[in-house]
Amino acid sequence: MASSANNDRPNHRTARAFCLTSAFWFAAAASFGMIGAGYLIAPDFMANIGWLHFGKARPMHVNLMLFGFVTPGLLAAAFYYVPKLLRTALYSEKLGVFTAILWNITLPIGVVGLAQGRSQGREYAEWPWSVDMLIVVLFALVIFNLVMTVRRRLEPIIYVSIWYVCAAVILTGTTYCIGNVIWKPSTGALLGIPDAILLWFYGHNVFGLLLTPLGLGVAYYVLPLATRSPLYSHTLSLIGFWSLIVVYTHIGTHHLLQVPVPTWLKTIAIVDSVAMVIPVMVFLINIWYTVQGKLGTIHADIGAKFVFTGTIYYFFVNIQGSMMALPQVQRVTHFNNWVVGHAHIGVLGFAGVVAIGGIYYVLPKITGRPLYSRFLADLQYWLLLIGVTGFAVVLTIVGLIQGNAWLNGETVYRVLPEIHLYYILRASLGVFIISGAYIGLYNIFRTLYFNPGAATACE
Amino acid sequence: MRMTPTAIFIGALAILAAVVFVMVFWPYAQRDMTPSEIFRPRTLVEAEGRAIYIANGCVYCHSQSIRTFDWGHGAERIAQAGDYVSDEPILLGSQRTGVDLSQEGGEHPDDWHIAHFINPRYTRPNSIMPPFRWLGLEKINTLTRYIQALGLKQADQRMGRQTYWKKEAIQAYEAGPVYNVKWLAEHVPAGWRHIPNPYPTTAAGLMRGRRVYADFCIGCHGPIGDGMGDAQPWIYPPPLNFTILKDRQISGGILYYQIMNGITGTAMPYFKRELESQKIWEVGNYVAVYFINQSDANTAPHGIDSAWEP
Ligand code: HEC
Ligand code: HEC
Ligand code: HEM
Ligand code: HEM
Repeated sequence: MASSANNDRPNHRTARAFCLTSAFWFAAAASFGMIGAGYLIAPDFMANIGWLHFGKARPMHVNLMLFGFVTPGLLAAAFYYVPKLLRTALYSEKLGVFTAILWNITLPIGVVGLAQGRSQGREYAEWPWSVDMLIVVLFALVIFNLVMTVRRRLEPIIYVSIWYVCAAVILTGTTYCIGNVIWKPSTGALLGIPDAILLWFYGHNVFGLLLTPLGLGVAYYVLPLATRSPLYSHTLSLIGFWSLIVVYTHIGTHHLLQVPVPTWLKTIAIVDSVAMVIPVMVFLINIWYTVQGKLGTIHADIGAKFVFTGTIYYFFVNIQGSMMALPQVQRVTHFNNWVVGHAHIGVLGFAGVVAIGGIYYVLPKITGRPLYSRFLADLQYWLLLIGVTGFAVVLTIVGLIQGNAWLNGETVYRVLPEIHLYYILRASLGVFIISGAYIGLYNIFRTLYFNPGAATACE
Repeated sequence: MRMTPTAIFIGALAILAAVVFVMVFWPYAQRDMTPSEIFRPRTLVEAEGRAIYIANGCVYCHSQSIRTFDWGHGAERIAQAGDYVSDEPILLGSQRTGVDLSQEGGEHPDDWHIAHFINPRYTRPNSIMPPFRWLGLEKINTLTRYIQALGLKQADQRMGRQTYWKKEAIQAYEAGPVYNVKWLAEHVPAGWRHIPNPYPTTAAGLMRGRRVYADFCIGCHGPIGDGMGDAQPWIYPPPLNFTILKDRQISGGILYYQIMNGITGTAMPYFKRELESQKIWEVGNYVAVYFINQSDANTAPHGIDSAWEP
């Protein structure tokens, strides 16, 4: 196979480094999430730790989940499957490892920046300017490495997964620059209402042009291979790919339906949010038909099991999302924990679970040894599944309580005692997720290092 | 269709460029930055306070975006694009764990905010807002300047009212308890002053009043109603010591009116949004029975008995 570029078998150091990066930041970000959840139950706990109160732990949690756990995790699988599908080696493992190292330097700088209060105050674009620049460099390095790999391919046909990875990194590299207003280092923002429009154009593209295509890329790779089934339809892949890019980029303004922005923007956002059914269902039909009748095989492969579960959450989050974009629904759901529930279904249930699946699927192929512990991976699966499903249920209930109470004229303060119990439940469910994160970190670490498993045939 | 690298890269970027043009650039080019009628620029110290607001992630719990169907804080003013023309970044927020702050300026006098920032439980016993005592008084003061300017010209108007009545209230307080109590009562419209609490005192009613007191009043007026709650060191004139009201003709109507409407200029907030009529009568009676030790509940003049009365 990879005899192409050089004779010794590829060491996949880049993919390894990204697996470890993702696992580590998952645990770290979950810890910040627990701190945030703790504050909502007992706001005076850690009262005097000024650099870690709720207003700081929250952006650390969210940004580390997005840019520390999910993105590197999905890229880890990509760094393995892109060269493999193109029957070549990664253009430069050295550059890849350097990227991973720089990634792990960038995130702590960002966390320290937020701790010091150097946040730019725009959700999903909080990182201080210096960190924004480092992230742009990181994306440039990833793009360069992948593009050069594509150019050196021996396989003429480019598989769907690679379309998605390439589009994800190129488009996000671009929208990241625009969305973070990197040409204005002092504030990283525009003035007034246009700032909100730009921010949510970018913010929704973090899910739509980064996490979603990277996640779909992994699903398109893992599920057909794990079940040894040919992809159901090339045409559907094409429709799914192009419609995703066309439709997803239009819907950012559904975050601003109750804000004085031009009505035509809202109309487009609502119509296209509903039209999201097309790319979503096209993908799901394609991938679910591909694995039809092979659920047993999927169940037997822990990586595929994670990824398949992720596709189910993908279904839920998008159906829910299309609903939430309807103004009548948003009267109740906006501004409250319903949206936080949606966010966890999407970013954890779909993107995060697929990322872990991708890691577990490629790790044995990278190391030439089985996973350190299938049992721990299964345990992690159930912990995360219970955690994220519980989050979805609990946060949706809280959201409905808050939203309906406010709609009836109850004040925010009056509703606080009603939702206290649910904040406790959320933190308890968080214990499942954080345990899953640390177990995963241990399992992935032991699979890469000190793995006692017998070496199997290496791919 | 055959997917070549060129098709993917150029295709994706071309779509993105087209969408950015329509969805971001076009609204930007068409933006209307005409200030609204309530707009005024922020002063330097207010801008400094805003930086503290951003640095501490207040935006994750507080929106600044009033919608057409809101009832709570600031609902008198529905947000307009022209309100935000100097905001960079704009701080609309996406969560309302706390209240909307668009029109927070002048809602309370400064001392309420200082006590609240030191520890929100001092003025709001059930609050889940983190304490900001660690910021230090200087920064808390700066932050308060920003908060008191939220709402811009409308905030200034409310602040003018707060400042005027603060002066009056301090004068009255410093003239001694006898005068202060008289001054407080004089500002209650005459009709209210002569209304006794129309409902009889019941054990269950007192228990409910006690709960309301613990959820809303205890941080200022204190567990025994002597005005020595946790917020007391930060508030001036200090929270009223209810025990001084005995034998001073404090009717149920006065208590009701003061609780409903608040006392502008002092830290005493209005509770008409938070408490329904029943709760106000019952917390008033709780204060009268336990702290003033003198209740006019169910005395004449008394209308037709209410249907629920035992
Ligand atoms: C964990 C979420 C949270 C954070 C972070 C937070 N708040 Fe609050 N805030 C609340 C809640 C809940 C309330 C309502 C209860 C109360 O009044 O304390 C509130 C109330 C307020 C009020 C009083 C509104 C009123 O008139 O009743 C102000 C002013 C305020 N917050 C300002 C701030 C500022 C400034 C910051 C940042 C330094 C901040 N908050 C951070 C949750 C939060
Ligand atoms: C943030 C602190 C604070 C809170 C909370 C608060 N009060 Fe007050 N209250 C005051 C202050 C300050 C005064 C006026 C003191 C003065 O002017 O001398 C006052 C005055 C009053 C008065 C006026 C009495 C009179 O003779 O006119 C009543 C009645 C009262 N409070 C009841 C309550 C009740 C009931 C609650 C809870 C529902 C409550 N207060 C919550 C601070 C507070
Ligand atoms: C059909 C696709 C989707 C639609 C139509 C949709 C719609 C929405 C809407 C309307 C909101 C705003 C809710 C509000 O503030 O009232 C929202 C928020 C959010 N969505 Fe989605 N969603 C979709 C898919 C996804 C996916 C796949 C993810 C994750 C990978 C995701 C992650 C989020 C997050 C994190 C937020 C919270 C944003 C915030 O901080 O306010 N969404 N979505
Ligand atoms: C340890 C388990 C977790 C806990 C306790 C937790 C807790 C929290 C808390 C308290 C918030 C803030 C909500 C608010 O403002 O009310 C939040 C937001 C968020 N979390 Fe988590 N979380 C956990 C795991 C995760 C995971 C695994 C992911 C993604 C992979 C994730 C993604 C997010 C996102 C995207 C938001 C922003 C939501 C929004 O803006 O609407 N969280 N989380």
